[in-house]
Amino acid sequence: MVKGSTGAGTKFFGPTAQTARLMLYGLLAVVLMAMDQRGHYGAGIRSQAAYLAEPVYHIVEWPVRAMRNVFGQVQSRRSLRQENTALKEQLLRQQGSLQRLDTLLEENRRLRALIEGAEGQAFEYQFAELVRVDLDPFSHKVMVDRGSSDGVEAGQAVIDGAGVMGQVEDVHLHFSTIRLISDPNHALPVQINRTGLRTIAFGSGVTGILKLPTVPRQADIREGDLVVTSGLGDRFPGGYPVATVTAIDRQEGQTFVLVEATPLAALDRGREVLLIDALAPKVDEPSLPDQQDAGDDNKVSDGEQSGQEAARPESADADGPEGET
Amino acid sequence: MIARRDRPGTFFLTLAAAIVLTLLYLPPVLDVFRPYWVALVLIYWCLESQNLVTLGKVFIIGLLLDLLGGSLLGLHALSLVILVYLVTRFRARLRFFPPWQQALSVFALLLNDRIILLWIISLRGDPLPSLVFWLPPIVGTLLWPWLFLLLDWVRAAQRRRAHT
Repeated sequence: MVKGSTGAGTKFFGPTAQTARLMLYGLLAVVLMAMDQRGHYGAGIRSQAAYLAEPVYHIVEWPVRAMRNVFGQVQSRRSLRQENTALKEQLLRQQGSLQRLDTLLEENRRLRALIEGAEGQAFEYQFAELVRVDLDPFSHKVMVDRGSSDGVEAGQAVIDGAGVMGQVEDVHLHFSTIRLISDPNHALPVQINRTGLRTIAFGSGVTGILKLPTVPRQADIREGDLVVTSGLGDRFPGGYPVATVTAIDRQEGQTFVLVEATPLAALDRGREVLLIDALAPKVDEPSLPDQQDAGDDNKVSDGEQSGQEAARPESADADGPEGET
Repeated sequence: MIARRDRPGTFFLTLAAAIVLTLLYLPPVLDVFRPYWVALVLIYWCLESQNLVTLGKVFIIGLLLDLLGGSLLGLHALSLVILVYLVTRFRARLRFFPPWQQALSVFALLLNDRIILLWIISLRGDPLPSLVFWLPPIVGTLLWPWLFLLLDWVRAAQRRRAHT
């Protein structure tokens, strides 16, 4: 960069100058990588580059979309009808299981009011489809076809039909990238559904495995246990299924057991996802009596406290690693 | 008489094609075979028309690839800068190798690149990748002679058009 990239003169092509340049650019790249890894300026640079990236993604996706259209046209009537029947059946079954939901919700609300607990949030879902663009295989990211023009914001939780997938990371105009929960830098505050034991699920770098490294030895945990989001950390709403426990390794002399779980969401082969609008207005946040006379300036932190009070020690952990560590 | 300089248009066009091929959706089964297209194209241009490929340009191309592919910022920049540096260093020899020997050196270059990537992966603390990690250099080497011919053809066509 110092000597300019146009230096066609022979003097700039000497092996020493070239080596110096290699060092310079190498160092620059390493600094950039370190910064991106620490999560300092990476996000800013990425969002600035979104305008540049957007048309490229359109171009890349075009042949796949064209192909899909062609195949869609020739898809036979019969297979469509079969699919239709199957979907209707599925819809009916799910409606059946949803019938009691309204009464349960009402009951839940009444019980929560009884114990003066924080009321659940209302969520909105936004449908999105995975974009057929292959990102770097080591990045643990996928791309969906909704962006800032559809109201998507960074940090939104993403689920598919079976469980939690990840969270929105970079938002472009018509696209956004999602960091999957399998990313080794991703941590998700979870709890074991059966016992309510709270812990954190880390990505392992392998799509099919999540790690729960902070489960104490004496904890009641079994293979097949359902792991759900705990709602701590204020990013993922609570109660969504994440994974099932598949392996527990109780080693002698260790404080923690090694727990592995398999994500329920189809991280590598899904196609449709739902973006959860966690920014939907919280249904009136009940403030605790002793906090009502507190000044207006710390109102926000009060609201957070009332929701998280029960889990102080963990929420500190849960907040930290949820972004980049 | 062959023109001394190539026009940068062809260079950027082939590079854009390589980037599209890098991002193009492939079914997961085929995805593991995807060669390092941008590296292959850069090696070609570096061998054939050196003054088009400077480390500064390569660095920016690498950054672009990182931004588009969502990888760690600077990862491809580092890998491509090292690759191009090595090619320019041994350019005189590489150019006059017989094709099979050239393909072998391309294999060495791509393998070296994978080792650098492996080093970065382990620095990040990610788990080490499985054996399919080593497939792309092999595919790249097998593709190299054909890619070389194709790019030669593109370049010749472009020149012919420029002359008439």
